[in-house]
Amino acid sequence: MANILGDIPVTFALWGNIVLLVLFSLSVLLGLSGIVNLLNPTPSLQKISTSLFVSITILFFAGFLLICWLHFMIYSKISLVLPADMAGVINKQLNLMNARSSFPIPLYDHSSPPRYLIPVWIESEKYYFWFMCYSFMALVAHFKLTHPRFMASLYLLLAIQISLLFFLTNPFSAALPQFFSEISPWFKQGLNLYDRLGIFMKLYPKLIFYYNASYMWFHPPLLFIAYASITITFCCSIFMLIRREAAIEKLCYEFAKIGFYMLTLGMLLGYPWALKAWGPNWWWDPKICSSIMMWAIYSTYLHTRLYASRPSMWYFSSILGILCFAAMIFTFITSFYFPGEHTFQ
Amino acid sequence: MNRKPSYDFYLILATTGILFIISVICIYAMFYFKIAHIHQSPALIKIQYMERMNSVISPFLIGLIILLGICVPKRLFSTSLLNKFAVLLLIIVAAVSLLFGLKMGLLLLLLIALFLQTAVLFLAITGSIHLKFEKKGYWIRLGSSLIHMGLILFILDLFLYQYVTIHLILFWITTTTCVLGMTFCFFSDPVTKLLSLFSGKKNQENRILNP
Repeated sequence: MANILGDIPVTFALWGNIVLLVLFSLSVLLGLSGIVNLLNPTPSLQKISTSLFVSITILFFAGFLLICWLHFMIYSKISLVLPADMAGVINKQLNLMNARSSFPIPLYDHSSPPRYLIPVWIESEKYYFWFMCYSFMALVAHFKLTHPRFMASLYLLLAIQISLLFFLTNPFSAALPQFFSEISPWFKQGLNLYDRLGIFMKLYPKLIFYYNASYMWFHPPLLFIAYASITITFCCSIFMLIRREAAIEKLCYEFAKIGFYMLTLGMLLGYPWALKAWGPNWWWDPKICSSIMMWAIYSTYLHTRLYASRPSMWYFSSILGILCFAAMIFTFITSFYFPGEHTFQ
Repeated sequence: MNRKPSYDFYLILATTGILFIISVICIYAMFYFKIAHIHQSPALIKIQYMERMNSVISPFLIGLIILLGICVPKRLFSTSLLNKFAVLLLIIVAAVSLLFGLKMGLLLLLLIALFLQTAVLFLAITGSIHLKFEKKGYWIRLGSSLIHMGLILFILDLFLYQYVTIHLILFWITTTTCVLGMTFCFFSDPVTKLLSLFSGKKNQENRILNP
């Protein structure tokens, strides 16, 4: 990888790990403040906690800019260039493939060779993006409902997410390991033309239908924003079980609306992409099933919420809000445990 | 607050029940997919699995379509008229299903729902006070009408699954309708403020609240 991008991955890892280490240290302090405020009936450390929360969110964004920089470098430095006289051979092969497909692959253009325009939420970066969205949304919720214990629960959830990032899914430990292992054969020295052609035919369809797919810029981030909203809805729903306050329910609904909007749009945008990339035989894939289940629970929550003024429906809708979160976790874990098109196994 | 349960309330409970059953079927499908190693099986086994699951879920999807068929005219008719309409609708759909097959019966139901929903949407656009909604407000009503229209179009689009081009065109129409509907319904206040900012008129919501 060092040969492909020079010193860029080292710089990325160095600065990224510094950002994540500071993030983790601040989140430990914020988490402690969360525990103190959850256990203690009198609010404490409020101003410090707010400053910590704002700092964490800003730092999160700084790390995100670093990820954007890495992706820009990949775009500007890596391209699949073939010798000019190979263009005819490769395009003949691509035309043969296109004749059998409803969704043709663009032909190779030597004047503008294919480049990787990779969205900033692949591999471990997706967790970073997801938790950063949560941080921004939780900050908004924090200023909208200044209930000390509610804020404390937001702190605690953020601390848990940053700990997961630090210990399990650090996107800065190695820059896009899967992507670089896939493209490394292309940069091997002494490849003959036919080997290069073979590697090109392996890399190019994935570049078109996955890395550079326009849907990649919309389908995953919309779902991660939805996941972040669902986490806040979950927090509010727990509080709805403890206290019957209209302000909590109102906040819960505000985030549920954003979550449902993003989830529905994200799922809808995944549909034409799946038809294009996988063909017709993907219905009843485990991830699709769990996503439909999550959407069904979420729409049930929004329907029952209309009647939240009735005591029984108040508790029923708050339980559904908690169930939405459980369904979201289940949907996410699905990618690790169940085989299928979306699997991370 | 003790309100007498409305027609809407019972329809929502019924929808909740069906959505719950669909969720359970989805979980069953996931575990079956893993345990039976469907992912590593030949295409024929995969297709058999998909067809089997389609047949398991279809009664509940039919139930959802029937609920949708009843749900749409509730905006237009009074409860007594709605009861008569629902019974008449079910008899017609049952008769068509017996004569021409279940698929034709459901298609008829969807086309009736589409026709009625178009009427609801037209009345919502004109700001009619005769529409029956749980919530008040011009944009909320318009948004809700668009979401339901999107849902009907989406189910209709599934009937055209084999015709890729038409299927995808209708899919994008569905997506646009749903997105506009959700925007108007969920964010009616910002939409109202934004529009009054551009048009210079007062809050458009008042058209329904104080006709």
